[in-house]
Amino acid sequence: MSAPLLTGIRGVHTIISTVLYRVDRTFAGAPGNWYRRREHILEKRMRQNLLSTTVGNYPRVALEAGGASVRRAWTRLDRDQVTIDNVHTEEDGFTTEVLKEQRAAGIDVVTDGQVRWDDAQTYWARGIEGFDITGLIRWFDTNTYYRQPMLKSAPKWTHPIAARDLEYAKSQTDLPVKAVITGPYTLAKLSLDEHYGDLQKFTFALAEVLNQEAKALEALGPAMIQFDEPAIVRPGNEGDQAIFEQAMRVLTAGLSTKTALYTYFGGIGQLDASRIFALPFDVVGLDFWMGPENWDALESFPAEKELGLGIVDARNTKLESVDEIVEGVKRAAGHVSTDRIHVNPSCGLEFLPRDRARAKLLRLGEATARAKEALS
Amino acid sequence: MADPVLLTTSVGSFPKPDYITKARAEASRGKMPRSELQGLEQRATEEWIRFQEDLGVDILVDGEMYRGDMAAYFAENLEGFELGGAVRSYGNRYYQKPIAIGEVRRPNSITVEWWQYAQSLTNKPVKGMLTGPYTIADWSFDEHYGSREDFVMALADVIHAEAVDLQAAGAQYIQIDEPAISVRPEEFDIARRAFEVVTAGLSATTLTHICYGDFSTIYPAMLDLPVDNIDLEMANSGYVLLDSFRKAPFTKQLSMGVVDVHSHVMEPVEEVKAGILKGLELVPADRLLIDPDCGLKTRTVDEAKEKLRIVVQAVREVKQEKGLA
Repeated sequence: MSAPLLTGIRGVHTIISTVLYRVDRTFAGAPGNWYRRREHILEKRMRQNLLSTTVGNYPRVALEAGGASVRRAWTRLDRDQVTIDNVHTEEDGFTTEVLKEQRAAGIDVVTDGQVRWDDAQTYWARGIEGFDITGLIRWFDTNTYYRQPMLKSAPKWTHPIAARDLEYAKSQTDLPVKAVITGPYTLAKLSLDEHYGDLQKFTFALAEVLNQEAKALEALGPAMIQFDEPAIVRPGNEGDQAIFEQAMRVLTAGLSTKTALYTYFGGIGQLDASRIFALPFDVVGLDFWMGPENWDALESFPAEKELGLGIVDARNTKLESVDEIVEGVKRAAGHVSTDRIHVNPSCGLEFLPRDRARAKLLRLGEATARAKEALS
Repeated sequence: MADPVLLTTSVGSFPKPDYITKARAEASRGKMPRSELQGLEQRATEEWIRFQEDLGVDILVDGEMYRGDMAAYFAENLEGFELGGAVRSYGNRYYQKPIAIGEVRRPNSITVEWWQYAQSLTNKPVKGMLTGPYTIADWSFDEHYGSREDFVMALADVIHAEAVDLQAAGAQYIQIDEPAISVRPEEFDIARRAFEVVTAGLSATTLTHICYGDFSTIYPAMLDLPVDNIDLEMANSGYVLLDSFRKAPFTKQLSMGVVDVHSHVMEPVEEVKAGILKGLELVPADRLLIDPDCGLKTRTVDEAKEKLRIVVQAVREVKQEKGLA
């Protein structure tokens, strides 16, 4: 198929899904046909040659002076100049801007930028019964911090935690939206445990809780549910692989939506890669910057799986050239068929200043389009 | 004379009074001349020196009224760095993360003038305050070196030169903070070698502050650092770090943090005293210094002063009750 035709088809898909989106709204409450038809088209789009996507968070500062800024809203709240409702309105507006920024960069599957997440641990721990929140501690090897959750009693899922955010994001874009959940192993590993005193029990209990959350989100129709498990690729944690694997099975039990396991901040070289690939996820996300050994792991990447190709360094301002990204995609395409590659940054983009995050996003979008032409 | 026991000090930063915050904002918008800002920074520095003296703190700090972020401050004053846009640290706290874009060089000394100013205000010793090479590198983006080790070692030379200048100016205590050192245990050796470069040939008492990491992975390895005094936060973790000292004795001077700098809550003096007593079980009084967990800059001025008061009062009472000189 010629490249311009592909581009054309993508354009048509966009128009169709936009129209159907409007129809959705018109027929909200009508029999599910419209939804099913729309899902079918989205699904088709999801299977096209090479998709670009983001992994999660996005800088919540203004792109230029006077622009939308969640940071400024919180500062004003600190000074009693606005109310918390104003902050939430600003967060909604900012989410819309982040979705637009991804769309403008040609990103195919988007996230809401997690602009309401205080951090990847407490966003979940605050929503789950059984946790207290304690002092600040560094988040992995980043120069960012989180308040460490402490488990006081058996964790319990009492209400959907991220449903409102997902619904809002879906209402603001015609692009497929991913739901992102911090995985049970990472959530347990980065918490204090005063209840079980046993990592396995703690992780399994959280896997059940987050499975309920995933089911609640699934009902809202996300493009996929991505589970983030950076902790499993951190040095010293490889001994937990058996616990991790069992927890992943509990986590995904009974889900029918497409699922992804994203690892970052390291490679899977210390783990048994074949067993990670065999876990019940459709997509496995790997970080090729902090885990260059992941290139070796690709040699045995199973044909039926999809790859989240973390090819743009989300932790350094140095901009990759479009050519470099295209080369990386081509290299991955030597091991994984192009209709099974999601091209994405190595992790969330919030570690970067906003202008660099945007620049990386633009290059990611352009490189994916270029690679699509080159590889078709 | 007997060796001094349970000396009190501070980790480094104090909160900036409102007039400094406002002045810095105005200066950054070009609405206030540099010299006027500097005058205000001197005034605030003097206020903090007076406060520490009046309180009876033993080893003073200048409070860093003229610094933004502890790593970015050095990057701002070195060649080879530019400052990037704001990056979130936690909550609504942001900093301008430096970007290395060329060879790192020190055209002039960075901290000596401020140290001299602060020391001129008091007869008590004022610490020279440096950020260590590993931390500056870890808290910066690197677009130039492409190797973390090369980047760290280049910074080590620069910070060593700064330490030598501080010592020549008369600093008796030189603190080289490495809060990032516990972050990647696999890189501890790089950090240690960099530290050797920094402290080589110094006769001043050297200190380092380390925080926020998985302590168990670098203890007792951290005792290999060529430094006289290690400053550790203890209060915010309920003194659990002390348990490690039972397995491997702490062989250096310890500056022990006894109040949580990230909490608005004021620790009862009794609780702080209990913490000091725990420390005394494992480190003798002439090797134990007492301070807050970390820099106090994230607290309000009143909270910071109250936390320091609590530290000094708790030390005073422990000394009295224990009959320590």
